[in-house]
Amino acid sequence: MLQAIELSKSYASIPAVQDVSFELRAGQILGCLGPNGSGKSTTVKMLTGLLQPSQGRVLFRGEDIHRDLTGYRKRIGYVPEEPNLYPYLSGREYLEMVGILRGIPQPRLGKRIDNLLVLLSLYPSRHSAMASYSKGMRQRVLLIAALLDDPEVLILDEPLSGLDVSSALVLKNLISALGREGKAIFYCSHVLEVVERVCSHLLILRRGTVIASGSTTEIQQRIGHSSLEHIFHHLVDDVDPGEVTRKIVDAIRAA
Amino acid sequence: MIKTQVLLRAKRDAYLCTPFPVLVRLCATRIFHGSNAGEEELNISMGLLLTLLAIPGGFASIFLFDKYGSFLQWLRGQGKFDPLAAAMPDEYFFIVLSMVVTGGVALWWWDSIFPDHRDFMNLVPLPIATSRIFCANAVAICLLTGLCAIDVNAASSILFPATVGGSQPSFRFMLQFAAVHTLIVVLGSIFSFLAVFAVVGILMLVLPYRVFRRISLYVRTVIATSLLATLFTSFVVPSMIVDLSSTTHSPLRFLPSAWFLGLCQLLRGRANPALTQLAYLAIVALISVCLVVLITYTLGYRRCFMRLPEVGDAAAGHLGVHTSWIFNLLDRLIFHTPFQQAGYRFSLRTLFRNETHALVIGGVTGLALVLASRTLYSLWGGNALGSRPSAEVLSIPLIFGYCLLVATRFVFDVPAYLRANWVFRFLLTTSPEESVSLARRTMLCLSLPWIIFVAFPIYGHFWGWTLSLLHCGLVVLWFVLLTEVLIAAFCKLPFTCTYPPFQHSAVVMVMAYVFGYFAFTVITPQIESDALSAPVRGTLFLFLSLGVWYSVHRIRKSVLEADAKLIFEDVPAPAFQCLHLSDGR
Repeated sequence: MLQAIELSKSYASIPAVQDVSFELRAGQILGCLGPNGSGKSTTVKMLTGLLQPSQGRVLFRGEDIHRDLTGYRKRIGYVPEEPNLYPYLSGREYLEMVGILRGIPQPRLGKRIDNLLVLLSLYPSRHSAMASYSKGMRQRVLLIAALLDDPEVLILDEPLSGLDVSSALVLKNLISALGREGKAIFYCSHVLEVVERVCSHLLILRRGTVIASGSTTEIQQRIGHSSLEHIFHHLVDDVDPGEVTRKIVDAIRAA
Repeated sequence: MIKTQVLLRAKRDAYLCTPFPVLVRLCATRIFHGSNAGEEELNISMGLLLTLLAIPGGFASIFLFDKYGSFLQWLRGQGKFDPLAAAMPDEYFFIVLSMVVTGGVALWWWDSIFPDHRDFMNLVPLPIATSRIFCANAVAICLLTGLCAIDVNAASSILFPATVGGSQPSFRFMLQFAAVHTLIVVLGSIFSFLAVFAVVGILMLVLPYRVFRRISLYVRTVIATSLLATLFTSFVVPSMIVDLSSTTHSPLRFLPSAWFLGLCQLLRGRANPALTQLAYLAIVALISVCLVVLITYTLGYRRCFMRLPEVGDAAAGHLGVHTSWIFNLLDRLIFHTPFQQAGYRFSLRTLFRNETHALVIGGVTGLALVLASRTLYSLWGGNALGSRPSAEVLSIPLIFGYCLLVATRFVFDVPAYLRANWVFRFLLTTSPEESVSLARRTMLCLSLPWIIFVAFPIYGHFWGWTLSLLHCGLVVLWFVLLTEVLIAAFCKLPFTCTYPPFQHSAVVMVMAYVFGYFAFTVITPQIESDALSAPVRGTLFLFLSLGVWYSVHRIRKSVLEADAKLIFEDVPAPAFQCLHLSDGR
C-alpha cells in the first residue's frame, strides 16, 4: 500500500536519512525503531508529505504521493510526536475543525466525534480549552483526529507518550485491531516492549540508514536473540549501558 | 419572506461549516491569540480588546467639545471661527492616534501574522491544499486589518465630526467632514498595519529564519519606539504644516502621518502645493506598502512556511555564554546568598530573552527616550546650558529611571512560561524578605549604572563635578526610594507567579503611575532646581526621603507580620469571607 524507495533527506548538506526503503502493506503494523537522531521523525515527515525528500520517492498504491498530496492525506491518519495543539480551542472545537477540513459531512461528524470522545474518556472535558488538558489528554485528541476519517494508513509517532496505563492499553489493543481490519500502520516508538507486542514487522534505523528490516520473527532469528531489547542493543548501541551507569554513579559521588 | 430568511440563514450556516471559512476563522483566532498562546497568557477576549482599542479615539473626541462648542466660542469672543483650520491639528492627532494604535496591534501580532510551526503540524497533514491555507491566512489578515482600522477609528469618526460640525448650520458640512475624516484615519490605520506587516515580510524574506527570530525583538522595539515618537509629533507637526511652503528640505516628507494630513487637506480643498505633494506621497506609500506586503507574503510563505519542518521554530542557536564574568563579579559585590545569585541570573536572562518581557522593557525605554527628547526639544533655543541646569535638564535621568524601574517592576508580575515554575516551588523554602532583596538589587542593578556611567560624566562635563555629584546622589537616593515603594508588598520570585488580578486595581494603578511620574519627574527636579539656588531648601529632600522610607518600612512590616509566604499564584481576596466565629465553642 505504502512504499518508500531510497528515501534520503539532508539538512544544509548534513544527511539525516539515507537510502531508506521499505514497504508497508495493508494489515501490516511496521514498527520503526532507532535511537535519538536516527532519522525516525524525518522519515515520518517524508511519509506524511510534510517534507520533500532530497532523493527517493514515497508511493501510495503505486503512485508518488506528491502527485496528489491532498488526495493522499485524505487517506492517512497522523499522530505527530508532539501534541502541539491550539490551546484556546476546546477539544471538540479542534476535532470539529479537523473533521470539516477533512470534508466529513456535518451530522456524521458530530456523532463520530462524540462517540470517540466518550470512548477515549474525553467527553466530560470536551468543552474545556485545550490549554488545561494534560499531555495524555492532548495525545488522545490527536489520536481521535487521526482516526476521524477512517484512514487506510495510520502513521503514529510515539502515540503512547503521556497516556495513562488504561489509555495506553486501549491504544495498544486498538492498533492490533486496526491492523486486523486491514489498515496499514507505521508505528514509531522508543518503547521496545510495545513494539514487540504490537508490531508484525520492524524497521530499525541508525544514523539515518536502515540497519535491519523484516518481520519481527525473521529479525529475531537472524540476530539470534529472542527479545527485542537484546536485538536493539546488539544492532544500535555503541556504548555498554553497564559501563555508562557506573560512570554516572561515579560522577554523582565525585560532585 | 420569513421562509427566504430561514433559507438564507441555513445557506450561510452551511457555508460557514465548509473548509475555507473554518480555516479563515482558525487563522483569525490564531492571529488574535498570538502564536505563543498558552495558559499563562493574559486572556483578553475579542470584545474587550475592541473596546480598549476604541477608547482613546472616543475620549480624545470628547475632550474637544469645549474647543468647538459655539457657546464657548462666543464666550471667548471668537466671532469668526474657521472650523476646518481649527480642526487641522486635531485631525493630525487622530491620524497619528489611529496609526499608532493599529501599528501597536500589528506589532503585538508580529509573531502570528505568518503561520508557524504549530499551524504547519496541525494543518499541513490534513487533506487541504497549502495554497488554501495561504489564502485563508491572507483573508484573515485582511479581515483583522479592516476590523482593527474600523474599530480604532469608530468613535472618533462619529464624535469628532459631530463635535466640529455641531456648531455649523449645514448638516452637509458635517457629513463631508465625517466622510473625509473616516477615510483618512482608516487609510492611516491600514497603512500602519500593513507597514509593520511589510517589515515582517521583508525580514523573513531576506534573513535566514533563525536570524529573523533573533533580531525580531530588536526590530519590534525600534518600531514601538518610532510609533511612540510619532505620537509626540502631534505637539509639533501641525504648526510646522501651517508654515510649510515646500517639502524639499522639510523633515515632514519622511513622516507618514504628515502625508495623510496632506491627503486630508487635499480632499477638503485646503491644500497648498506642499501639502499636495505630501498627499501624493500618502497615495504612493499606501500602494507601495500593499504591493510589498503582497509580494513578501507570497514569497515569504513559500520560503518560510513550506520549510518550517526543516528549520523548526526554535528561536535559535547559541545563547550568550560570554556573560559569566559579569555574574561572577556581581556575585562578589552584590548578590551574596545562593538564592540571590540564582534568582538574579534567572531574572536577567528572562528579561532579555523572553520576548514579552524584553519588549515591555524596550518599549518603555523607548518611551523614556521620547519623553526625554521632548523635554530637550522644549529647551531648544533656550538657555539649556546656563550656569545651573534647569529643572527640565535635571529631570532627564529621573524620567529614564522612573520608566525603567516601573517597567521592571511591572514585568516582574508578568509570568514567563509558568509550567516551568515547579522547579522554584520544589526548591525554594525562602521567606519573601529574600525575594524583596532580590527584586531590589535586580532593579537597582539595571538602573543605577546609567546614572554612574552616563549621567554623572555628562552633568560633570557641562555643569561641574560638584553639582553633578549632588544631582546624581539625589537621583540615586530617589531611585532607591522608588524601588522601595514599588516592592513594598512584593512576595514573589520575579516571573514565576500567575498574573495578578489587574482588573481589580487597574484604574487606580494607572492613576498612581501617572501621578508618580509627575511627582518624580516634574515636582522633584523643580524642588531640586530651587534647592540649587537656596541650599537650605535641600533639607526638604531629607525629610521627604525619611517620610517615604518610614511609610514603606511600615507597609513591609505589616506584610511580614501577616505571615507572608513566597507566592506562586496571585489569587484576589474573596469578596466576602466566612469568619467561623462559632467554631471555637
